[in-house]
Amino acid sequence: MTMSCKLVIEGDVPMSDAPSHAPGHSILPSWVKGPQDFVGGLALMAIAAFALWASSDLQGMHGFSFGAGTAPRMFGILLLALGAGVMAVGIFTEGPSLSKLHWRGPFFVGLAILSFAFCIRPMGMIFSAMSSFLIAALGSEETRWLETIIVGACLTTFCALLFPYALGLPLQMWPTFLMR
Amino acid sequence: MGDLFSNLGLGFSTVFQFVQWAPPLLGGMTIPVPMNILLCLIGALVGTLVGVLPGIGTIATVAMLLPITFGLPPVGALIMLAGIYYGAQYGGSTTSILVNIPGEAGSVVTALDGFQMAKQGRAGPALAIAAIGSFFAGCVSTVLIAVLGAPLTKLALAFGPAEYFSLMVLGLIFAVVLAKGSVLKAIAMIVFGLLLSMVGSDIETGASRMSFNIPELADGLGFATVAMGLFGFAEIIRNLDAGGEEDRQLVQNKVTGLMPTRKDMIDSTPPILRGTVLGSILGILPGGGAVIASFAAYTLEKKLSKNPQKFGRGAIEGVAAPESANNAAAQTSFIPLLTLGIPPNAVMALMVGAMTIHGIVPGPQVMQKQPDLVWGMIASMWVGNLMLLVINLPMVGIWVRLLRVPYRLMFPSIVVFCSIGIYSVNNAPMDVVLAGVFGLIGYWLVKHDFEPAPLLLGMVLGPLMEENLRRALLISRGDATVFFTRPLSASLMAISAFLLILAVLPALRRKRDEVFVESES
Repeated sequence: MTMSCKLVIEGDVPMSDAPSHAPGHSILPSWVKGPQDFVGGLALMAIAAFALWASSDLQGMHGFSFGAGTAPRMFGILLLALGAGVMAVGIFTEGPSLSKLHWRGPFFVGLAILSFAFCIRPMGMIFSAMSSFLIAALGSEETRWLETIIVGACLTTFCALLFPYALGLPLQMWPTFLMR
Repeated sequence: MGDLFSNLGLGFSTVFQFVQWAPPLLGGMTIPVPMNILLCLIGALVGTLVGVLPGIGTIATVAMLLPITFGLPPVGALIMLAGIYYGAQYGGSTTSILVNIPGEAGSVVTALDGFQMAKQGRAGPALAIAAIGSFFAGCVSTVLIAVLGAPLTKLALAFGPAEYFSLMVLGLIFAVVLAKGSVLKAIAMIVFGLLLSMVGSDIETGASRMSFNIPELADGLGFATVAMGLFGFAEIIRNLDAGGEEDRQLVQNKVTGLMPTRKDMIDSTPPILRGTVLGSILGILPGGGAVIASFAAYTLEKKLSKNPQKFGRGAIEGVAAPESANNAAAQTSFIPLLTLGIPPNAVMALMVGAMTIHGIVPGPQVMQKQPDLVWGMIASMWVGNLMLLVINLPMVGIWVRLLRVPYRLMFPSIVVFCSIGIYSVNNAPMDVVLAGVFGLIGYWLVKHDFEPAPLLLGMVLGPLMEENLRRALLISRGDATVFFTRPLSASLMAISAFLLILAVLPALRRKRDEVFVESES
């Protein structure tokens, strides 16, 4: 979960760019020659720092045997160093500028996944599948609604047959309030 | 030699096993059903079906279809997964030949000449040669696995924790050296994966690590969840960026005349042979796999050819060699997994994930304790290849039609299908959310030119590495030089160091990049 916060923070930088001008030269200082690596390395360092913080309460080495925290700290420090390396590459060598992150696709696909996760328990599979199909479809400009609804209904039916019957996985089909 | 035949015999009898099945409507009557053959068939079909969808690569296909195998008995599940893997790979090459959208890096080179052939109205022979080459490579590598399996297992049993640790380091270094792109970034991704694998409870002390009191994280990040997020969801999001529709130059003329001519066969026989050998070798190397194999095979053919200018303009050799190489590599990459328990690439990492869910810890012990599982899987590879050859060629028409499904309808379907799949693994909504988060992380990584495949490999190897590192140090009473004083471990470490230095040297880097250049030309 905590990863998501970080991602949003990192993602915000390029996403907030106005689409009109080339991303990269707006926010980052001019001595950064490869913005893509620079930001990538920075993000890795942030993740490593976060992991080091999160594992700081774990026991370290005692004698010559590893504690619970030894390995996470080891890998954390390693990632910190590698992140710094990637960042250094970004500073000193010419590299690609930040590629534009689009918001529409990630946003609606993410929303569809979230809505599925929150609906599946109370509302059952039929409703959740159909609604997240429609939400996900918002992620593309090319969506035509009539065919989307038809295909969504077909897919929902297919899944409603496949998972419980063909694969024998117990999934609740209908909303809980209807089942009582 | 006798061993070999009895082992293969066991394998085939497992594959051809009949199970008494009582259909619900017949009232207790049972029908013998060749369960494993059917599963292999379904796996190959479904794998092709999903693999054919443009923009969905082999790893994504296997990750997406993982959940549907969870309800099966272990042998059946693994046979089906192996079928899905070959199917996906075959589907990927079909897409690159017909639409010029390689689903994955491995079939990029196939697209170069395959699509040109298709444009010249020779899609049929291109597809047929791809299938024949794959089948031949599959036969050879099945035998190779059977031959090498038993001796390597014996070797593996002589390994102590220190050797295992060094071997895993070597595997990861190989994965970095043989991959495309920046070495530094690939190593960073591996370490990120190792770090992610630390989430959950510590094996020895049981202390909860980085799980922030979230009950779903107490057992660690689910492997299927991360894989689906990083490969399934992330690929969908990334494909949405591309806009999907405009770059699909589907071959409009009908695919006619499947059979290659006599000349085609003669032209492509040596490339198939060379591709098979090259692919088999590259597949066994830890870190190797289908991608590097097909690139290397294509480069080799171009170098050997009397008129290299033919390549890129529809040379059948340019289809035959990489296709045989990638299938050979796909299969021989099972060798390190089955004998040493170490996945050499991301797809094999997914296999480990599937085995773990069925309670099987891959490694030399499996070969001894559950020989039917290992040999059944090996035999099923050959059967799977045969099925692909028999089924897919007549069904090319259907695959072509599938390619016409617009992306705007395909992607919501995949989102929903994946969500249900992830949810069904543990019946946990939290898993779905986590997969979504990893989807966004994966999208971000790809956008910043980080490969997600090494991350997955690191994540699978993480717990194994930690365990062996701890044990080795415990046995040596804290002496870290143990990795360099034990001869086997020391030589493995030396090879790793050597490889890493080679990869960083500028001269060799240029050579390495040269192999991958084909995709841009």
